[in-house]
Amino acid sequence: MSQFKIPVDRILAKVAEDAERVRTISEKASDVLLGPLDTDISTTPGEVVYREDRLTLKHYAPIGGDGPKTPLLIVYALINRETMLDLQPGRSVVQNFLKEGIDLYMIEWGYPTRKDRYLTIDDHVNGYMDNVMDFIRQRQNLSKVNLMGVCMGGTFSVIYAALHPEKVKNLITTVTPTNFDTEKGLLHIWFKDFDVDRTVKTFGNMPGDLLNIIFLLLNPARLMIDKYVGFLENIDNKVFVENFMRMEKWIFDSPDVPGETFRQFIKDCYQNNLLIKNKMEVGGTRVDLKKITMPLLNIYGRFDHLVPPEACELLTRKIGSKDTEDICLDTGHIGIYVSSKCQKELSPKIARWLKERDKIEQKAEATKSRAKKSNDKKSKARAKASPRKKKKAGNQI
Amino acid sequence: MSQDQQQKAGPEFLLGAWMKTATDFWGSMTEMWQSTLATQQKSTSSQKNAKARPQELWDASFNIWQTMVSAYSTPETMDAAARGMHALPEIVLRMAKTGWEGYFHLQQQWLEKAGTIGSRTEAYKFEDLDRDTFRAWLEIYQKDFGQFLNIPQLGLTRSYQERINRAVDKFNLFQVEAAEFLYLFYLPLEKSLRVMGENFQELSQEGNLSDNFKDYYNMWIKILEGHYMTLFKSPEYTLALSKAINSAEDFIDARQELLADGLKALHIPTDKDMDELYKELYLLKKKVKALEKKVDNR
Repeated sequence: MSQFKIPVDRILAKVAEDAERVRTISEKASDVLLGPLDTDISTTPGEVVYREDRLTLKHYAPIGGDGPKTPLLIVYALINRETMLDLQPGRSVVQNFLKEGIDLYMIEWGYPTRKDRYLTIDDHVNGYMDNVMDFIRQRQNLSKVNLMGVCMGGTFSVIYAALHPEKVKNLITTVTPTNFDTEKGLLHIWFKDFDVDRTVKTFGNMPGDLLNIIFLLLNPARLMIDKYVGFLENIDNKVFVENFMRMEKWIFDSPDVPGETFRQFIKDCYQNNLLIKNKMEVGGTRVDLKKITMPLLNIYGRFDHLVPPEACELLTRKIGSKDTEDICLDTGHIGIYVSSKCQKELSPKIARWLKERDKIEQKAEATKSRAKKSNDKKSKARAKASPRKKKKAGNQI
Repeated sequence: MSQDQQQKAGPEFLLGAWMKTATDFWGSMTEMWQSTLATQQKSTSSQKNAKARPQELWDASFNIWQTMVSAYSTPETMDAAARGMHALPEIVLRMAKTGWEGYFHLQQQWLEKAGTIGSRTEAYKFEDLDRDTFRAWLEIYQKDFGQFLNIPQLGLTRSYQERINRAVDKFNLFQVEAAEFLYLFYLPLEKSLRVMGENFQELSQEGNLSDNFKDYYNMWIKILEGHYMTLFKSPEYTLALSKAINSAEDFIDARQELLADGLKALHIPTDKDMDELYKELYLLKKKVKALEKKVDNR
């Protein structure tokens, strides 16, 4: 290797120039860090309307008018917490939905303890989710509710919609893995040979901290170095620090995942890809995606390294419904919910899509009732023209 | 040293001498004790019946000892015992030799590898990584050290001792797997610095070197990210990761078993006890919920 010269003198001169700036930043940083910081997350007021074991159901009343007619239930993943959807005022999917006039319900899965280790996917889907859906239907006097799933919660929602299609009006899946046979996402590669039996035997539940370590290992350069360098560079910026702390709070607030649920999710989905093949069994019933006959909106991120597009996009082709739409946003797994750009796209798009489905339904109902009226008229006319036939019909009744 | 002297310094000679001295000593002690006891019995007739249970016991034990000594004194037995005694240092020596050989082999491997660390793989390539150092260490541990921890234990404390040995063994195996994983995890750092050096050279030749440190940092973090992405997709890394996780879990499992012994002694329920209870609770709750639903639907 030949000699090369780094302009150390110029770098040092630049450092000297920056020295004053660094001193000012340090002074401001101590003011910021020692002063009061607003780092609360999930501050949108909601009412707890249902509880079952560790699960709570929150209801958020809409702020804006002219929203979709049917309430929307959000099912978050068992990994990390739903607080991500309500990180801060002005950067909250929940608030955006409310502004769009959506009547919102959201499941909070809580923190599983060792006693929850035996809970299966069946208990979550046919147990908790079904109970919640029944509760909302009864409370709102409706036969169907709109359902939206996030990540693993989306997979649960797909399973639910296939097993209980009569209760779901519209299905929205966001960053939802359904096709696990891909080499694009690192999780898909790593979990292929993951000895989940050993993990469940050792820990009972899958520890949230272990999951966090795995997530950090997905991109250590960015998540363990660059992120904190960025923090140090902006440490004098109160708003930046507050936002950073909110995100940090959310990322490391990781409940454990119930052991049996995790075992089935890894084996049936990541290792054998049974869901998309219509071979997965939940509660003794085969999950047939063709039974998903309601409209489906499938949203995912182009740069999602956890759930890559390949893991999401197959769903719309595999279900029974013809009313499907795929939306691929130019963002990552979390960016869909928290980036300023996606904040402006995601909630309005979902609200619009739901309202369009309302209109389609109204149209269909109007056509149906018109057809019924015309049939009635025709029957009456036929009855007038041929009273014998009417008599015969009457006899039949 | 003459043959006679050698024999006198040998263990069989020493053992024989010690046995003779011990028998003489305890024989005279017994005689003394018997005469004292006889005097005492004369003075206290009431203790007549109580005579001598201790003495009988002593007599019996001493007789056994004498029988053993006389049996040992036969030339055949002495010869056999001497052979065993001669073999003992030999066994110890062989055990030590095996251990040392393993250690030297490992040291040799380390020395060979130390000089080549970092130059074994090209930048952005993680295939066919030379992880022989860790494999060698694992092999040596399993063949030469680890097997001592798997020797079957005996007696009342057998299961406890086995659990202790298992925990130690699993901890050692975890150390090796973790070391290999950390080594792989460190490689991208090393490689990224090498690539940075090459980039510096190129920039220098082109006269494009920046005076802003942040430019170099951004360049380095991008290179590092790329290296990690390449590493993470390599089968070697996936294997090392799963081995590290598995060995950590094995160790935690073994440690829990060991802790459970302590908890049992303190009458504190162990995880296993609680899991049984939780399972029953889970099944019971499931049943109640199903029945509740049935009743509601009527």
